Amino acid sequence: MADLRINLAGIKSPNPFWLASAPPTNSGYQVQRAFEAGWGGAVWKTLGDPILNVTSRFAAIHFNGRRVAGFNNIELITDRPLDVNLKEIYETKKKFPNHAVIASLMVEPKQEKWHEIVKRVEDVGVDGLELNFGCPHGMAERGMGSASGQVPALVEKQTYWVKEVAKTPVIVKLTPNITDITATAEAAANGGADAISMINTINSLMGVDLDTWNTIPHVAGKGAHGGYCGPAVKPIALNMVAECARHPNINVPISGIGGISNWQDAVEFMLMGATGVQVCTAAMHHGFRIVEDMIEGLDHYLDSKGIAAVSDIIGKSVPKYSDWGDLDLNYNIVARINTEVCINCNKCHIACEDTSHQCIERLTDGSGKSYLKVREEDCVGCNLCSIVCPVEGAIDMIEVPRELAPMTWNERQAALNAAVECQADVTK
Amino acid sequence: MSEYQQFLAERDQIDFLIQKGFQISQVKEHLDGATVEFVHPKENITETLLIGNANARKYFSSLLIKQKQRRNG
Ligand SMILES: Cc1cc2nc3c(=O)[nH]c(=O)nc-3n(C[C@H](O)[C@H](O)[C@H](O)COP(=O)(O)O)c2cc1C
Repeated sequence: MADLRINLAGIKSPNPFWLASAPPTNSGYQVQRAFEAGWGGAVWKTLGDPILNVTSRFAAIHFNGRRVAGFNNIELITDRPLDVNLKEIYETKKKFPNHAVIASLMVEPKQEKWHEIVKRVEDVGVDGLELNFGCPHGMAERGMGSASGQVPALVEKQTYWVKEVAKTPVIVKLTPNITDITATAEAAANGGADAISMINTINSLMGVDLDTWNTIPHVAGKGAHGGYCGPAVKPIALNMVAECARHPNINVPISGIGGISNWQDAVEFMLMGATGVQVCTAAMHHGFRIVEDMIEGLDHYLDSKGIAAVSDIIGKSVPKYSDWGDLDLNYNIVARINTEVCINCNKCHIACEDTSHQCIERLTDGSGKSYLKVREEDCVGCNLCSIVCPVEGAIDMIEVPRELAPMTWNERQAALNAAVECQADVTK
Repeated sequence: MSEYQQFLAERDQIDFLIQKGFQISQVKEHLDGATVEFVHPKENITETLLIGNANARKYFSSLLIKQKQRRNG
């Protein structure tokens, strides 16, 4: 069995699977049951001045038979008094000393407010703090959550205030509702953050009811934007983690969050630079016991690759993630249709003919049977045919032997500019 | 003409000049593609090609890089 332990900025846990701050971590009862099921850590439902919630709170998008492809909520932070939560955190930590218990915090952007909550929370023995600068609804209207998380100066200042008094590691949880998340990630690092976590939820409106014209969800006929999460947000979250991981000025560990539903997702986040992961929607959809498959799958994966410790995979794909200008313009792949596997549904032909490069032909063989064939010289290797193909293995994307040496856009532009300069020299 | 045929036609035009000893001296990119200027280093003649096809534009760029590497090295 591989070593699944992680150490995120000094916060140790028996495996990389933590529950994210959300309904699954609302109480001691839940967090203790989660630890019994196998979760390595839990970020407690955000603590702060207890709020009032509305009902209903959630909505989901089901896509093509898959339940909960995307999930949306208009719930706020904890509605329970701080002392109730602290008592349960204390008991949980006493029962599970080797599991990571992190307190998520959100208060007004005032130094004394941060000092007060940090001191009270650390007194009960948490392993770390997570500053919630991400909640996009409700709290943001009061100047907290993503409202302060979208302003790099406020992120830096508030992190700094926390670090003035914090004795445990401080994770800053970032909002994705910003054009460039590295701006706030860098601000957090400058403020002294020991780690960053991302993503919180994305501003969203799930839909409008065609009969009542109400928003989905609605509260007595009125709606407000919510926060989007679940499998649909994974690519957005993964990119944000990767952008932070490869940024030269962001040198703190990352806790990856957003659409993680299984061990494969977790491995992807870790390869792209996350030290560990946090999960919310998948646990809400399937219950705490999904962690059993996550642990088992991760363990088998590492064993099959001969990797002794999960920490060895952290960031291994980061050097492979670059800017578009550094990609090789002379690398070519083409589609090849395996006629024995192809069911002749014609989806690839239609997709290519209508919306790509018109290079899949419908031909007839000697016995009058029709088949599909790619005119490889006109194929640009866009992948669309293999994406729309309903049959696994019917279309392969094949690497074409190279005719020209690798050349990136940046190299090309440098050569073109040098030619112009050279010409200028000659005419001088 | 298919994109590929267009590529072959433009690549032939480029190769024709290169084989005659021309070198790429300047490239101007614009809405219609790239105007590539070739000079013959010995005979002091200039030729110009308008290259529109994307693969042909990659092609002359690769030749330009190769030409630069040869000059530098
Ligand atoms: C109902 C609900 C409540 C949430 N409450 C909080 C919260 O109190 N504090 C916080 O930092 N994030 C909160 N989140 C965001 C999650 O912690 C997490 O960042 C987000 O859901 C993305 O992860 P996922 O795709 O695994 O759900 C909440 C999410 C949901 C769905």
